[in-house]
Amino acid sequence: MAEILQEAPGRSDDRTTNERIMAALRSRPALGVALFLTLVVFWLLGQQQGASLSDLLSLTVWGVMLGGIIALGAIGLTLVYGVLKFPNFAHGELVTLGAYGALTISALLPAGPAMQPFSFGWELMAGLILSMPIVSLIALVVDRVLFRPLRLRFASLVLFAMASLAAAFFLRSAIYLVWGSDFLFYYPGRANPAIEMPLGIRVQADQLFVFGLAVVLVIITWFLLERTRMGKAMRATANNPDLAQVRGINTERVIAWTWILGASLAAAGGVMYGLASQLRPEMGFWLLLPMFAAAIVGGLGSPIGDIAGASIIGVAQQVSSSFLNPAYGPGVAFILLVIVLVLQPQGLFGQGGD
Amino acid sequence: MALLEVRGVTAGYGDTEILRNVSMEVGEGEIVSIIGPNGAGKSTLMKTIFGLLHPREGSIIFDGQDISRLQPYQIVERGMCYVPQVANVFTDLTVSENLEMGAFLAKTNDIAARKERIYEYFPRLKERRNQRAGKMSGGERQMVAMGSALMLEPKLVLMDEPSAGLSPKMVGVIFEQIRKINEAGPAILIVEQNAKLSLEMSHRGYVLASGENRFEGTGEELLNDPEVGRLYLGG
Repeated sequence: MAEILQEAPGRSDDRTTNERIMAALRSRPALGVALFLTLVVFWLLGQQQGASLSDLLSLTVWGVMLGGIIALGAIGLTLVYGVLKFPNFAHGELVTLGAYGALTISALLPAGPAMQPFSFGWELMAGLILSMPIVSLIALVVDRVLFRPLRLRFASLVLFAMASLAAAFFLRSAIYLVWGSDFLFYYPGRANPAIEMPLGIRVQADQLFVFGLAVVLVIITWFLLERTRMGKAMRATANNPDLAQVRGINTERVIAWTWILGASLAAAGGVMYGLASQLRPEMGFWLLLPMFAAAIVGGLGSPIGDIAGASIIGVAQQVSSSFLNPAYGPGVAFILLVIVLVLQPQGLFGQGGD
Repeated sequence: MALLEVRGVTAGYGDTEILRNVSMEVGEGEIVSIIGPNGAGKSTLMKTIFGLLHPREGSIIFDGQDISRLQPYQIVERGMCYVPQVANVFTDLTVSENLEMGAFLAKTNDIAARKERIYEYFPRLKERRNQRAGKMSGGERQMVAMGSALMLEPKLVLMDEPSAGLSPKMVGVIFEQIRKINEAGPAILIVEQNAKLSLEMSHRGYVLASGENRFEGTGEELLNDPEVGRLYLGG
């Protein structure tokens, strides 16, 4: 913002026109405009490929819903990054574990009828709720055997990042071993017909459910962080770990709760992603780049920013599928990530910078 | 018996020894200043007392217990709080949340009442309780830092250079508050560059130079000692 104010006409400074243009481009409003223009270009490209207006609108709405899932992962990444100060490359595997965990739990339970208008029954809901503590436990075990020894030795950031990459490979291999490499479905063959909405937008009831649940979980997370003692301690530890220790905050307990919250959100996101598409051992890995992109677009350390960033990434990915093979989705997220890093590395809502 | 007793402590980082055989004590309800030139090891002594650094030799006795091997949170639990010189507030948290974090270990439910007491010391903080601490002035931050340290109603508060970076007027305000806080109960151990002002307020003082005790006495004695004056009080 400060840079823009300095651009006021009549104010002379030593900078050349070129430098002033660059400074104006590297501001938060400019980043917002650039991201919006990217989405507009995607729309136009989609239209060129023959997508109708209602198709594009539907894709946009689906994109916002995919954004809800991505946001759940991005919030966890942001929390872990804030408190433990490393990018957790194994976060995608927590998403996958959540999806498969719910599959196994719901298969063990007696199957009930579908809860109309949704395609799933109560047993999947139970699976979703139970998979959250199970994945949290897995995350705590990984922390205990892998990250905690590194913490006690004051290891460098690179070591933590590499260790999390190793954890990702290990967990993914375990998923292959247990569940195999085939695509799986919560309800094979069960259809969830689309609901017609105004403007020709077609949305499945399941997608609406997924989005609604994502919003509820984000609000609960916000409440936990802003209003509870442990949530405040998490923010305090992320803000100033040394002072947190001086104030008598037990850092190990804060770290444990950070994993529990982050893993629970990832697990819920995984079940929702599995419901919206299908279960694959790489499903979480393919969400990792969009999750990182959303966290950085929104600005690391800001849950509200995570939602905004995730929605932008989700819409871009979905709309791009009207002119690109959907397999390029993570590539699209990568393009947006680069735009942000070049223009305004603090993201849309991040702290620091201007 | 003294509340805090530092007995022949030697400490440092890596291969460097910063403190050598330092001994000192703080009695119940006392204000004690540690003065000395830059690099004398004043801050290191604070960190060693608070468990951020462990002594290589010697011991630190607080309230009758040896605390020289304890972690900071265990020392906080025993009733000692620390106000660091820099980065001493959670900049992303509000004033009110900063105070709550000061009482993280409190096992009581009267956090609100304790906050009110801090607001009595520092009325300015009450006006700004919902503001993020990062957006406040240096003096106000110092108030937040001191207020957070008082939330646990400690027996001893360590203050590392409370006057650093403040305007002369604000230094007066802060020192006046330190005196009031002390009258209400806790003993205070201050490390200060602003030696004169600090000694005037203190019951006793120590002069630390090159990691060793050089002088010790009441605040007045040190202020009037010609050698201390020449060396450390600027004439």
